[in-house]
Amino acid sequence: MSTHGAEAVQFEQTSFNVYDKKLGMWVFLASEVMFFTGLIGSYIILRWGASESWPAPGEVLNIGVTAGNTFLLICSSVAMVKAFAAIEEGDQKHLKLWLLATIVMGASFVGVQAYEYTHLIHEGFLPSSGLYGSTFYAMTGFHGFHVTMGVLCMIWVLGKAMRGHYTQENHQGVETIGLYWHFVDLVWIILFTIVYLI
Amino acid sequence: MATMTAEPSGIPVREEHHPQPFIRKYIFSTDHKIIGIQFLFTTLFFLMIGGLLAVMLRFQLGFPGEAMPGGSILPETMAPGGIILPEFYISLVTMHGTFMVFFAIMPLLVGVYANYLIPIEIGTHDMAFPRLNMISFWLFLISGLMMLSSFWVVGGASRSGWTQYAPLSANPDASGVFTGQILWCLSIAVFGFSSLLGSINYITTIVNQRAQGMTWFRLPLVIWALFITAILGLLAVPVLTAAVIMLLFDQTIGTTFFLPGGGGQPLLWQHLFWFFGHPEVYILILPAMGFVSEIISNGSRKPIFGYKSMVFAIMAIAFLGFIVWGHHMFQSGMNPRLGMSFMVTTLIIAVPSAIKVFNWMATMWGGAIKFTTPMLFAVGFVMLFTIGGLSGIFMAANPVDIYIHDTYFIVAHIHYVLFGGSLFAIFGAIYFWFPKMFGRMINETAGKIHFALTFILFNLVFFPMHGLGMEGMMRRIYDTSRYTHLSDVQDTNTMISIAAFGLFASGLYFGVLFFWSLFKGKPAPDNPWEANTLEWTLPSPPKHGNWEQLPTVYHGPYEYSHPDMDRDWLLQNERPDIVSPAHEVTIRKGEA
Amino acid sequence: MSAEGKKPRYMLVWGGLALLTGIEVATAFVVRKALEGFEIGHEQVTMLIILILLGLAVWKALLVALYFMHLKWESKALRWLAVAPLLPATILVVVVLMEYV
Repeated sequence: MSTHGAEAVQFEQTSFNVYDKKLGMWVFLASEVMFFTGLIGSYIILRWGASESWPAPGEVLNIGVTAGNTFLLICSSVAMVKAFAAIEEGDQKHLKLWLLATIVMGASFVGVQAYEYTHLIHEGFLPSSGLYGSTFYAMTGFHGFHVTMGVLCMIWVLGKAMRGHYTQENHQGVETIGLYWHFVDLVWIILFTIVYLI
Repeated sequence: MATMTAEPSGIPVREEHHPQPFIRKYIFSTDHKIIGIQFLFTTLFFLMIGGLLAVMLRFQLGFPGEAMPGGSILPETMAPGGIILPEFYISLVTMHGTFMVFFAIMPLLVGVYANYLIPIEIGTHDMAFPRLNMISFWLFLISGLMMLSSFWVVGGASRSGWTQYAPLSANPDASGVFTGQILWCLSIAVFGFSSLLGSINYITTIVNQRAQGMTWFRLPLVIWALFITAILGLLAVPVLTAAVIMLLFDQTIGTTFFLPGGGGQPLLWQHLFWFFGHPEVYILILPAMGFVSEIISNGSRKPIFGYKSMVFAIMAIAFLGFIVWGHHMFQSGMNPRLGMSFMVTTLIIAVPSAIKVFNWMATMWGGAIKFTTPMLFAVGFVMLFTIGGLSGIFMAANPVDIYIHDTYFIVAHIHYVLFGGSLFAIFGAIYFWFPKMFGRMINETAGKIHFALTFILFNLVFFPMHGLGMEGMMRRIYDTSRYTHLSDVQDTNTMISIAAFGLFASGLYFGVLFFWSLFKGKPAPDNPWEANTLEWTLPSPPKHGNWEQLPTVYHGPYEYSHPDMDRDWLLQNERPDIVSPAHEVTIRKGEA
Repeated sequence: MSAEGKKPRYMLVWGGLALLTGIEVATAFVVRKALEGFEIGHEQVTMLIILILLGLAVWKALLVALYFMHLKWESKALRWLAVAPLLPATILVVVVLMEYV
């Protein structure tokens, strides 16, 4: 027996005007900002305070490949938002297609990163390669970990979509995972700039 | 009829009641009340562990070089012949702090009472995300067991202090601890994740699931406190998680974040740790202050004095708590200009705390005070927290801190606010909400004995430490006889240790009382304390889902001794004109 | 919670993001080289480049946050929630950077 009705509180009555899952995701993302601040902030601090200058952009890292990878992640974000737009219109077919596209592009991003890692390690650039190595691997590694978790969650969401779980009236899960995905993209936008280009 | 999975409004739809197997109902429960009780049993166990570690380290300080009774069961690497080795001593100190902060006090305040109280005080069926809630508990238990297991690995448990300063903590060759240190870092990382899931639940639930009429300024202060605490945890704990991961990498994969040999910065660790660490101590006190507000208002039969200023004081403490962390680092060699700024902000943060103390006193003033056990602990909190806060003012002044940093003066301060403060409030809360949780009362006389023993012994243990600190007794040292300036502190230390053994024994007495009351306590009515908040409208203990029909709230939670009422309490879902129709009543809108 | 007028914008935002990324990479290399040709000190060039790059990154981040994460159409309270952690984050980094000033 449900308890909807006059005595149940509706989220529209709160000043956030946001359903539970979405509010919970935004709250989670606030904590993720602080987590990445710990890592990225340490990088900024260690680099600013370093007595010797760190390698220039492109000296150790492959800018071309990573720029392409950045573009790929941005495209995956577009795919995600198009999936959301599709289910907002009740378009089940395009929801699944765009979700699949997001997964493929997201997984490819991780793949390219992994390839970059093996290449760098082969060249002798390791986490133990001074502070540059320490910070590089910590930041990009944890970002990659977050992308991987996102891809796994996205696969789960696609599974539910295949079973017809989402409708035009209710697709909270799609919007919620979308927020996470865009956040991961956003962090990469910052990371790419300050790790690879500066 | 099968329940829908789609809930556009976000209200959790209660599942159909089919009898659940024992495991689903009590072990892997998603009911916030069961989870709160799971936290309670687990944390009381860890509290005992923390106390046991203290007893052992106090034995060494009180009877240096002597064989500890029962010490022969410890291995040669820790205490050959029962005599505690310096290496083992320092891991006792480290783990005492670690267990008490992370696995006892923090989860007792938040894991237990945020989980138990939030839904039943705001008027909803359960948390916004019940399954995440369950995961949060199990992650907590796993992290605690990981930490405990570090005693049994080669090299033993961490020795770098609960604050884990680098480079000692990052360098196994220096600390002598490798696996134990890794376990410390991993345990805290898992704990951080558990805490995060909790915060997400508490914040979402309080924002979105309040009952009709439960406006923000009609929330009980304990809910405000838990809400703000959840925000503090949300923003501060991830920084610790990041730091602990970097520390772990330094030990294992050759990074050098905090190792000077590789260009790293030990001071970076301190900044990251204390950026978390200071909000952490406000996480450790704000819920306790919330409990005290509820209990004192109830015990004085008066509304809380200055409800709105209490709320703003909680917010001010939380906000300022983010800009005072450097006061833990006055003597670290950091930029002196930072020292000055942090001193100013730290002195300022005393103000909202003081506002709260004055408000509690004003609440009691002229009240018809009933000194029940919870009330005794709450009033004890106010006294002891004030002393702890006053010693904090001394430390806030950078020049004074030059002398007292890393001495027992600091140890005294810590324990007056965390034990005299937080733990006293926790005891008060346990006594206060025990009837609701378990449907039984804890015997009043037995509880008062617990209070008296704890209060007296606590002060015997910790008050002299102010003096020891002023005399220059440093923290974390193994044997005072090795220092000429400490030649006459041994008697004081021995006396403290004996009192500490007594304090531990009184804790065990409480444990026995607690478990005895679970089975043999007098059956409790719905509202034994004649209190106002919504949980007291429910049976003791409440059913799964709490309410069939969610309540409507008409006023704030502090309408004690309402002039229009015959009785001196008024539940939040009662209207005076309906309860006492003989009186003419105006219900003032939106009033606290 | 429908999205009036949201749908057409996405491809435009995508284009903007792609463009900004291209400008960033260009700035990091081509513009840097070009500026060094002028009579500006190396340090000033570096500072200028850094500021431009950070500005571009922030612009891209804002596009993602406002359009893809729909913040443009959400309540004020939610927007504050999204922005709030930036304050303690900034405090942490700026204060610790003071160690090197």
